[in-house]
Amino acid sequence: MTMTALSDGLAEARIEQPKPQRTTLWLVLPGVLWMTLFLVLPMLMMVYVSFWTQTTFAITPVLTTKSWVNFFSSDTYLTALWTTIRIWLTVLAATLLVGYPTALFVGLFVRNKTLQTVLLVLCVIPFWTSFLIRVLAWRPMLGKEGAINLVLQGLHLTSAPIEALLFSELSVVIGMTQIYCVFMVGPIAFMLGRIDPNVLEAARDLGAGFGRIFRTIILPLSMPGVVVGAIFVSVMVLGEFATSAALSGRKVNLLGNIIVTQVGSLKWAFAAVVGVVLTVIMGVVVAALLRVVDLRKEL
Amino acid sequence: MQSTLIKPALATYTALFLLFLYAPFVVLAILSFQTGPEGGPQFPIIEWSTYWYRHLLGLVPPSRIAPLPIDESLLRSLGLAFMTMVVSTVLGVASAQAFRTRFAGSGIVFYLIVLGMMVPGVLVGLGMSLVANALGIDRHWWSTAFVLHVVYTFPFAFLVMLAIFNRFDESVEEASWSLGVPPGRTFRKVTFPLIFPGVLSAMLFAFTLSYDEFSRTLFASGRDLTLPLAIYGTFSVEIHPNVFAFGVLTTLFSFALLAVYAALMTLSIRRAKRVALQEEAA
Repeated sequence: MTMTALSDGLAEARIEQPKPQRTTLWLVLPGVLWMTLFLVLPMLMMVYVSFWTQTTFAITPVLTTKSWVNFFSSDTYLTALWTTIRIWLTVLAATLLVGYPTALFVGLFVRNKTLQTVLLVLCVIPFWTSFLIRVLAWRPMLGKEGAINLVLQGLHLTSAPIEALLFSELSVVIGMTQIYCVFMVGPIAFMLGRIDPNVLEAARDLGAGFGRIFRTIILPLSMPGVVVGAIFVSVMVLGEFATSAALSGRKVNLLGNIIVTQVGSLKWAFAAVVGVVLTVIMGVVVAALLRVVDLRKEL
Repeated sequence: MQSTLIKPALATYTALFLLFLYAPFVVLAILSFQTGPEGGPQFPIIEWSTYWYRHLLGLVPPSRIAPLPIDESLLRSLGLAFMTMVVSTVLGVASAQAFRTRFAGSGIVFYLIVLGMMVPGVLVGLGMSLVANALGIDRHWWSTAFVLHVVYTFPFAFLVMLAIFNRFDESVEEASWSLGVPPGRTFRKVTFPLIFPGVLSAMLFAFTLSYDEFSRTLFASGRDLTLPLAIYGTFSVEIHPNVFAFGVLTTLFSFALLAVYAALMTLSIRRAKRVALQEEAA
């Protein structure tokens, strides 16, 4: 004890950790600079360029709202906007419906920690395959001569192959649901795992059925997980373009696809307008979701 | 709860869920063994063969199906992933170290960093190419695409390191300082070995995320293709089982990477245990 007191006293004199503020500044500065230059600046540039004048192959920094007027008066863009919102909502609902029961099982019913980890790892393993390969993998599944149609016909559930499975909005929704539902399962399972089993026990002892326990205890307590999952899924689905490019046969055009095409034909100002619209939608969605649950209080 | 009924039902559901996650990939793997070059990317398997794997490696006589441009793009992807890994791990460790002391504006800085993993690749990619255009810079995978990869992976490294530092026992550092070891040396000799497992995880995250990243690369990398861009290029044309064979190979590569990580992790944990035992013995 006296030794520590002594060394403490010595340390007071010699401790080489002075000016902590300055060290902190130097440690955090590179990261902040990097993010400002390569994240904030590009985003601001996008807003700025959306007001530039677009000529056939170039943009000039003469401010105009022409691209914006163009966006909101064009059927193509408004359809894309509507498709994006529709697909986003569908996928959001689908990932929640598909993912929740799994999260319920993993987070609440499996009380063995090892089994829980194994199940979660099984959910994450597909992420070790390239995203694009996972998207492409749906083509031989959904096609006219694809695995699903073969199985359905083999079981005599359908007499002719279902053609609507591939190169339609449905295929895009199926693909996105599979790719993103794990982002829903993870946070929900995490929140469910933190529910005190005694609370459920008490409710059961007082005669509540599973339905009632689910509505009044499990669902409300899992809401922060649902919100975090919804934020992940929303941001990713809204910024999507590869899944629809691969699985819709160019029939489904999301705002992301519009950006890619516009950049391909050097229509930078239009692309920037679409980018700003997308950013605004995401901002509104995330802000709205954060209002549902105060995450800082819950986590 | 009537777990007699609900638990088996949910267990069955979870099994189906896993089937949903894995089925496409299993189908893809099976079809990669389709015969070539006349076999298409669908059932039935005309004849089992490794034709498309050999096609991928350039070991078959040329046919009407162009080989995937993988050799150069693979090197580019690996180089890019390596650069990204080094820079974002360094940035992540430094920023997480800074967050160990409360400083003014730490809230804003936290959100600024985390924003990097939230903003979709389409948007930053577009923004970055607009900046490059305005400044008259050429876009390359090692310049504009590289900085965006770091923007994306640095937050992951930062969060991993933040979690590691949260569980970090600060008294060992204080002991080192009080013995007169300068902060730089303390970090090298005391702090770094202790946080090394976290650094490994951060590196793994950064490498694999960058290796797979494509929407940022698509906008910001100019003419030269990286591996994901080469795959994306096949989206618009008719696909052949060579893409499937390639998918199987990259997946195996990812698992190999994971195995290396696991081995390094076990080694470092074992070493830490041995050091702890020696200390106890001493």
